[in-house]
Amino acid sequence: MDILRKALLSILVFLFCIFWLNNALSLNTVNQCLVCHESNGDKPAMLFKKDIHYKMGITCADCHGGNSKSDDMEIAMNKRAGFIGIPKGDDISGMCAKCHSNPDVMKRYHSELPTNQLEMLKTSVHGKLSITGKENLLQCITCHNAHGIVPVKDKASPVHPSNVINTCGSCHSNAKFMRAYNPALPIDQAEKYRTSVHGILHAKGDSKVAVCTSCHGSHDIRQKSDLKSKVYKTNLPSTCSVCHSNSEYMKEYKIPTNQYDKYTHSVHGIALFEKHDISAPVCNDCHGNHGATPPGLESISKVCGTCHAMNADLFSSSPHKKAFDEHKYPECETCHGNHEIITATDQLLGVDKNAVCSRCHSESQNTKGFKVAKNMRMLIDKLEKAEKRAIDLVHEAEQKGMEISEAKYKLKDAHQARLEARTMVHSFNLGKFQNVVNTGLVTTSEITSEAGLAVKDYYYRRYGLGIASLIITILVISLYKIIRRIEKKQKS
Amino acid sequence: MKSYFTKFYNWIDGRVDLSDLVEFMGKKYVPVHSHSMWYYFGGVSLFLFIIQVITGILLLLYYKGGPDLAFESIQFIMSKVQFGWLIRSIHSWAANLFILSAMIHMFSVYFEKAYRRPREITWLTGMFMFFLALGFGFSGYLLPWNELAFFATKVGTDIVGVIPLIGKPIMIFLRGGEDVTGATLSRMFGFHIAVFPGIFTVLLGIHLLLVQRQGMSEPFRTIEEPGWEKKTMPFFPNFLLRDLLLWLIVLNIIAILAVFFPWELGKKADAFAPAPAGIKPEWYFLFMFQTLKYIPGKIGFFDGEVLGIMLFSFAGLAWLVIPFWDRKSQRGEKNRLINYIGIFVIIYIIILTIIGWIF
Repeated sequence: MDILRKALLSILVFLFCIFWLNNALSLNTVNQCLVCHESNGDKPAMLFKKDIHYKMGITCADCHGGNSKSDDMEIAMNKRAGFIGIPKGDDISGMCAKCHSNPDVMKRYHSELPTNQLEMLKTSVHGKLSITGKENLLQCITCHNAHGIVPVKDKASPVHPSNVINTCGSCHSNAKFMRAYNPALPIDQAEKYRTSVHGILHAKGDSKVAVCTSCHGSHDIRQKSDLKSKVYKTNLPSTCSVCHSNSEYMKEYKIPTNQYDKYTHSVHGIALFEKHDISAPVCNDCHGNHGATPPGLESISKVCGTCHAMNADLFSSSPHKKAFDEHKYPECETCHGNHEIITATDQLLGVDKNAVCSRCHSESQNTKGFKVAKNMRMLIDKLEKAEKRAIDLVHEAEQKGMEISEAKYKLKDAHQARLEARTMVHSFNLGKFQNVVNTGLVTTSEITSEAGLAVKDYYYRRYGLGIASLIITILVISLYKIIRRIEKKQKS
Repeated sequence: MKSYFTKFYNWIDGRVDLSDLVEFMGKKYVPVHSHSMWYYFGGVSLFLFIIQVITGILLLLYYKGGPDLAFESIQFIMSKVQFGWLIRSIHSWAANLFILSAMIHMFSVYFEKAYRRPREITWLTGMFMFFLALGFGFSGYLLPWNELAFFATKVGTDIVGVIPLIGKPIMIFLRGGEDVTGATLSRMFGFHIAVFPGIFTVLLGIHLLLVQRQGMSEPFRTIEEPGWEKKTMPFFPNFLLRDLLLWLIVLNIIAILAVFFPWELGKKADAFAPAPAGIKPEWYFLFMFQTLKYIPGKIGFFDGEVLGIMLFSFAGLAWLVIPFWDRKSQRGEKNRLINYIGIFVIIYIIILTIIGWIF
């Protein structure tokens, strides 16, 4: 009986130990912060349960400090034990960076995320001080949320392609907010985007199309005037080409993928990349940026006309305007092409093989245009030859050391006349064209005459020198003889 | 023909009594020896100065001072005025040859010790004329108001400004302000056509008068040569006709240079444009410019550039007053040190000028 009592007592003690140990263990693994905050219906606590960090075993205390294992509020939220409550200002991003900027920590979680996001953010346009002057304009949680953070690839993420327009738009479409930072910056980007080809497809659920971050970057967003910005003039074509030159990626959209290659060989591409002329148009100058879309038939001359205003005006008032509209020919593009616009030479004009006029006008069809094109070409060739002759003569006179600066200055007028003539081609009016060409021919004739005289004068100077030298030599010899005669006389 | 000339001579003689002058010239003799050729450089310098005066007056008919008109007026002279190009080119070439000829004349007088008593004043007037010739060159260089001249004047006046105490006021005086502007051009024009020619004419008058009065100096070594026998030739007409012959040759050389190497005008000066690379002064300032480039920024407590300028100033001063410290030559003794100094100066000038020209 005694033995039985002892055995029962031992079992009871053993069971008590098991129970205590189990209780103690469960207290250590359960996130006691969540237990309480969830029971209070606290929204952040409920969101945190869906958070990637929760799933990876990161506790509330890892960001907020304190002891998440203790169910005793005094111990769990003890400031002396390191409880900080809600991090403020730059401490928020600093808290994220504690792990996200530490490759060793991130490796522990088998993460492949880059660890320089905060560094990039600081150098970005968003890394500037906010108007309070106490913190940076933007913290990690501004875009990623604080609780309920999910991977970027998760559709629930505010930075997932399907949500990023609204996320960026929450500030950038807010006039009152943006006024404080950049009153000149438009706030209709999201609205324009919705009308763009990208935006329309995006609305249909296509997450492959370009969104804000595709062009502007994410953590490293810079102002468009910043040389390092992905949308800086010289960088924009390659930014667009990331998708548009990728034939595999663009396969389903059935559009060409050689625009970038063509552009780099075009007059605009050469001006931008080789001559470093940032006034040259890039993709967005013709297609728009946030509202990017291929220009329609009617808008092509308007798009080109934003820079080539004279040409566009002349074309619009020319007989070609009506004819092109009737045949639904894209205006400028019909003769000049689109992405691969080469330097417009005089070869485009006329009726020979390389000329674009002969595509529609022949001796048997549309004969009036044929004659006009033929005459225009003849006139511009004449002006070109006259200008070349004038340049050669001025060069020859200069080479001969003649003062020819006035004629040289007039060469600019001659060249200007030729440029004007080439612009006047777009009027397709032979009379107007002839007037401009004649002005150029008069100028070149003046230059040729002045330079010709200078060249003649060069030879005249040499003949003059020859005669002068001859006279001086005769004088020298005569003088020498006189001296000899005098000295002979003196000796005798 | 001869009778007409005689009649004309008699007509003049009857009014201004030329016979004294002719008699004086007839009695004047020039020594003849192995170094007589150096005598002609004085005459050549005079001839080149006369060319400068004539071409300068002709240029003045069309030249317009002022930063808005100077360059254009030279352009007009070069392209529109009949023989304007020739006059300008002759003026520029003769200016350079004038300095070269004066330099040769100065060194020949130096090596022949012709500055010794009683010709100290002749030497001094000659040296002052040489300094004025450099001044003519410096002031005339800016007158076309072209890019090279503008920046060279800026650099040149900057150098003057470095001299302690008096440098800055002199620089402001030369520039007519803090910077090289239209005021500088007006000043240089004034110096070039009025101030310098006025002083130069007075000095030239004294110099020529003294040469006529004292005659040409003879070097020691000629007198000491074994079997030396004093030979002379009449100044008039023998020496004068020889002078004239040489002048004609020089005139032809200038004409050839003007036709084959017309003086360039370059680009119009623009105060806001960056200075073109390789700004250099005229060749006769090049050895000093090059020396200043080689002097280190600091030499002990002194500023290298200041020290260099002071050194040139003292060397110039010592050169100027040589008749007063070369006692040996004054006593009629040989002074080899003077020759060594002279040879060193010539070699130094030639080498530094070549280096400055090439690099």
